[in-house]
Amino acid sequence: MKLINLYLDEVGRHLIAKNREDILKEIQSTLMDTIEDRNPHPGQGPDEELVKSVLQEFGAPRKVAHQYTEHSYLIGPRFFPLYLQILKIVLIVIAALNMLGLIMTIINPSGVGNNLLEALAQIMGGLFSSLFTGFGVVTLVFAGIERTTPEAWKVKVEQQWNPDDLLAQEDRKTIKVIELAVEITFTMIFIVLLNFFLDRIGIYYLTETGWVSAPILNDNFLRYVPWLTAANVLSIILNLFLIRQGYWDKRATIAKLLINALTIAINLAILIGPEVITISPSAWQKLNFDIGATAQEVSRGMNIGLDVLMGLSIFGLIVESIKRIYETFIKGSHTRIEIESE
Amino acid sequence: MMPDDPIKAQTQNLVQELRRGVIVLAVLSQLHEEQYGYSLMKCLEEQHMQIDQGTLYPLLRRLEEQSLLESDWRVEESRPRRYYRLSSFGEKVLEEMAKEWSILKNTVDELLF
Repeated sequence: MKLINLYLDEVGRHLIAKNREDILKEIQSTLMDTIEDRNPHPGQGPDEELVKSVLQEFGAPRKVAHQYTEHSYLIGPRFFPLYLQILKIVLIVIAALNMLGLIMTIINPSGVGNNLLEALAQIMGGLFSSLFTGFGVVTLVFAGIERTTPEAWKVKVEQQWNPDDLLAQEDRKTIKVIELAVEITFTMIFIVLLNFFLDRIGIYYLTETGWVSAPILNDNFLRYVPWLTAANVLSIILNLFLIRQGYWDKRATIAKLLINALTIAINLAILIGPEVITISPSAWQKLNFDIGATAQEVSRGMNIGLDVLMGLSIFGLIVESIKRIYETFIKGSHTRIEIESE
Repeated sequence: MMPDDPIKAQTQNLVQELRRGVIVLAVLSQLHEEQYGYSLMKCLEEQHMQIDQGTLYPLLRRLEEQSLLESDWRVEESRPRRYYRLSSFGEKVLEEMAKEWSILKNTVDELLF
């Protein structure tokens, strides 16, 4: 009996709490029936060898317990491909953001004190810990989705597939997920720069105390920051949606057109609005370039350059919008986003 | 000539797979009258339908969860035993399954022979 109790304890340790007592009671009852049936001396207690052989036949406790529990996945087969996709993107974005930090440290070591190597080591350490954090967060989110999504819903999503989708996607043009991931990365970098490091966009020069930066964007630019941030956040959301969905459809196209319209409006406002670049005369002097232009003249030149850039950007956005309208509404094809498989 | 063993091994695998498909039918067929786990296993064994204990007991629980079986605990010979029997829903399902099995069996027979 001692062996049987130990066996049951061991099985119980691998069972989930629900029904544990009941399952153990049933296993015990079965074991006793089997032993009794095989006992060559009915009426007497079974010998240890018999008990051992019955337990051996019944199987390893972990295996027995496992047969009572349904297969549970941390992330099931239905969500796994999407999980891998998102994980890849998140890790690329994290690595890229860290690389940006690294580049900024190399370019502008003034902010990190004297020991550049130490700062670099810190960034590399930060890279690994943030990669692990990213991995952990994505995995946890997906595990949560796996647990909370009802099985019926998962099956329903699969059943919604229709062979007509294939025809609609025929003649498809492929966009690589990696391209969207890169776009998301740079958009995020832009948002971070815009909101937290606006003063770092400027002229860098060396003084006795180290590198100093003089911002070139003036207060006129600040009014555009919330709008630019909004347009870029919307663009990230759209890209994530596209990765999730896998192709352009009317909804995505309309969203893209609205985002483009917003971006065009901002660019136009910058183009026709007051000048946003001012170079500080003292910084310009420190740079000591061998050209006979004053800071004011250089500022004007840069503003004209920016206006040209804005004009080109507006032109590019209009071309992109027309192309997108043509692809979705006229040609009617869904542009498929290719999921790369290694 | 192919060695004998791989053929046997592969056949064994496929036969096991085949049996897995009909275990439910076999188990339900024996539960018109109530039986406890061990007696059910013996009963199936006697009719050449050997089912591993590790498969049978979890299966009985699953069938009960699906309302095909009913069960209750009873104390006999100073030992509690769980008795399983077909529910009325299970009876109807078994009846349908038996018809399906008959059709399937004939179809496969015709395909094979």
